[in-house]
Amino acid sequence: MNGKRRALLKSVAVTASAAGLTGCERIISRVTGELGQSIPDRIMVSAGERIEPDFHLLSRTTYGVWPGDLDRLRRMGREAWIEEQLTPETIDDRLCDLRARRFETLWHEPGTCYEYKKPVLREEITRHTLLRAVYSRRQLFEVMAGFWTDHLNINLEKGDCIYLKPSDDRLVIRAHSLGRFQDLIRASAVSPAMLVYLDGKENVKNIPNENYARELLELHTLGVHGGYTQDDVYEAARCLTGWRLRTRWRKGMVQFDTELHDDGEKRVLGVRIPPGGGERDLDRLLDIVCHHPSTVRHIATKLVQKFVAEDPPTALVDRLAGVFTKTGGDIKSMLRELFSSPEFDIERGTKLKRPFHFIAGCLRFLGADTHAHRPLIEFLQRMGQAPFQHPTPDGYPDEAAPWLGTLLWRWNFSLALAANQVPSVRVSIDRLMSAIGGPPYSPLALFPWFTGRQMTDPEVAAFDRLPKGSRERNETVVGLILASPAFQRY
Amino acid sequence: MKETTRRDFLRQIAIGEVAADKTLVCVFLRGGADTLNMVVPYGDDRYYKLRPTIAIPPPKGGAESPKGSAESKDAALRLNDFYGFHPMMQPLLPLFREGRLGIVQAVGSDNASGSHFEAQDQMEHGEGAGRTIGGGWLGRHLRSRIGHNLTPLSAVAIGPAVPESMRGSPTISAINSIDELQLVSAAADPGAVKTTLSALYESEAGLLYDPGRTTLQLLSRVESLRAQVYKTENGAEYPNDDFGHGLREIARLIKAGVGLEVACLDLGGWDTHFFQGATGGLQAAQIDLLGRGLAAFDEDLKRWRDRVTVVVMTEFGRRVYENGSLGTDHGRAFALLAIGGHVNGGKVHGQWPGLDEDDAGWLGPGGLKVLIDYRSVLTEVLSKAMNNPRTDQVFPGFKPEPVGLV
Repeated sequence: MNGKRRALLKSVAVTASAAGLTGCERIISRVTGELGQSIPDRIMVSAGERIEPDFHLLSRTTYGVWPGDLDRLRRMGREAWIEEQLTPETIDDRLCDLRARRFETLWHEPGTCYEYKKPVLREEITRHTLLRAVYSRRQLFEVMAGFWTDHLNINLEKGDCIYLKPSDDRLVIRAHSLGRFQDLIRASAVSPAMLVYLDGKENVKNIPNENYARELLELHTLGVHGGYTQDDVYEAARCLTGWRLRTRWRKGMVQFDTELHDDGEKRVLGVRIPPGGGERDLDRLLDIVCHHPSTVRHIATKLVQKFVAEDPPTALVDRLAGVFTKTGGDIKSMLRELFSSPEFDIERGTKLKRPFHFIAGCLRFLGADTHAHRPLIEFLQRMGQAPFQHPTPDGYPDEAAPWLGTLLWRWNFSLALAANQVPSVRVSIDRLMSAIGGPPYSPLALFPWFTGRQMTDPEVAAFDRLPKGSRERNETVVGLILASPAFQRY
Repeated sequence: MKETTRRDFLRQIAIGEVAADKTLVCVFLRGGADTLNMVVPYGDDRYYKLRPTIAIPPPKGGAESPKGSAESKDAALRLNDFYGFHPMMQPLLPLFREGRLGIVQAVGSDNASGSHFEAQDQMEHGEGAGRTIGGGWLGRHLRSRIGHNLTPLSAVAIGPAVPESMRGSPTISAINSIDELQLVSAAADPGAVKTTLSALYESEAGLLYDPGRTTLQLLSRVESLRAQVYKTENGAEYPNDDFGHGLREIARLIKAGVGLEVACLDLGGWDTHFFQGATGGLQAAQIDLLGRGLAAFDEDLKRWRDRVTVVVMTEFGRRVYENGSLGTDHGRAFALLAIGGHVNGGKVHGQWPGLDEDDAGWLGPGGLKVLIDYRSVLTEVLSKAMNNPRTDQVFPGFKPEPVGLV
């Protein structure tokens, strides 16, 4: 071995151990970087006076703009790009898979995870989620997976959920994120994790447990003022009796226990369900609740709030509800209508990134290299949005208000990340700067890349307050841009 | 566009205080504390029969000893005709006599597993046995108060990790010291960074204007705190160990007006299966830390007594009879302590469960019988001392009984 090569290997080993990376992760970083998961030599920047429509589209449908995304969107055209995102199976995602697929607990049958320790399960599903959000090219799919994860919230720390959520993530959320609404709810209703989380497995003939039935109506379908009564909750619970979890052989698998099912006649929301339905009662119930006008409105409203504005424009909600009804709850068709609407186009830069979005976004805009180790997860925890940790069934709130106390941690994360001080994450500001090109005074050149527009006069003035010496240092400037109010919004 | 001049913004940053009307401090004694030797039932002979070597002797002069009589290092300190403090709790005696320290006897959960892990988890999650809710009770408490001016320091845990009780909180800071609360800028002078941030947030027309100001305010306050050596008030002296330092940091945060609503702090070393000791020994050393720490905290925060409530709990008490290794094994109920201006102090609330004829409350694997669900106590603390009207969201499905502690 010649001296030069030995020195190189030594320096690689030192860097890697400082970052706490495993050998495998080192190789993955190298390979994915070589194969294009990195910053291109030259990238397009959106630098109008206000946020440009293409940047806005990327901003709202992804966890952040990866260097080169804007060029690709321009090349393809908006409609083709949206169609591609709506058919994620056509997008080659092997580079992301290299980072995220190796967590084996994500691929087991429900129940096999009982062989693992809780910290391993928690770490794998959390890292998997963050890595997919940062590196997947199926960005809209990831955003929607996040949306349904909140809608059908399951807290890892309740009961046995930590053993069962990995398969729920795969077989419920990810299997149906862009599918048909009722299929999603059907999968969730008999998902082992949900049967534990909302006590469905305890729901048996004569002593129904109404927990799941109530949340099914209140949160998952009709919505809190959806026009159902306490009787409807009770009757829905009766329909759902008998879905149990195996506790010994094939532990964690679902089975329907006829003996424990209440097979009498039920009446839900005015519709009669004849006796003797057995396990088909579930589908009869879902036929009623998943297409109820309140459900249609509830889901349309939530999608508009998620992608357009906290205070949703009624006309758009109406149109989306129309699409839901016409297509039988086809999520893709609703999104297609949404992204081509004038309402979507108007509301630029008005929503607040939640902590998870903010962190994934910082990493994407910088084209960072990470394997989502503990330091990143700790920042999420500090800001109150570690994946799958929301305690109550309503999921992490989408509104801005609950997240307004997180600025200090956002600032510290921004400054640390840009200065390469977040352990196990690497960024290259120089490479980004050179890909952007532009004037030597860096804030003017860098700001539009992260925010989709030029700086305003007060923003220019703010950066002018940096003393000479700091102003020229791009890591300081980038840290401040990530910490700025403009970057907290999308 | 907000009509606020730059000078206003800066002045607010410089002097503003983030109001947290009330602060709850939760001290968790990890390991299952033997509260029978802390709040000693000297009025019951069977306590002495079952603890031949580790019992705390009755107060000098017995139950008839007048208040304020000579206190001894080797006997219980009289609280009333039935109970006395462990002598190492002496620093807390004035708090009890002045009515700021209240005790609730026979508190516990319905977890009979005897497992530290399970019992702590259940209690910190605020759950009943076999029924999980999701998140911790303090996390749910804070979530039920969303829209209530949460700051990055609304919930602070002193120590390396977020305790289970705070899981699900809208913001959580796990810190060892107030010194960790700062703008960390490796690349540039933090002052310059702060100036720029301040200018950026000042020009913000939307929803981040107020939070930006609040956060910068908070940084200024913490900075000015850091700049001065912290001087305790009223001659309070914290024990020189992690527990004492932790309490001191919490006191600093309370005084700094940074919006602290809930603080958590652990004190370990209570799992006294072996050589527990009596008036001296292993447990006495922990009691000493606890007593001096809490008394210093109370003294230091004299001006804030109406705003601050301290709750001291543990996952379970220990058995009444001592074991073969001069220690005690895992039991059930314990005595919970609470300190604060809102506490009905100077009293031991709840029944003494040891008086039933069949000894069921005394013996067997269960230990002292649980007469008051810990959630009833916490509900009272949250609703009356912390003004949370939505305790049904904190302990969903639980029907609290009145305790009278707050």
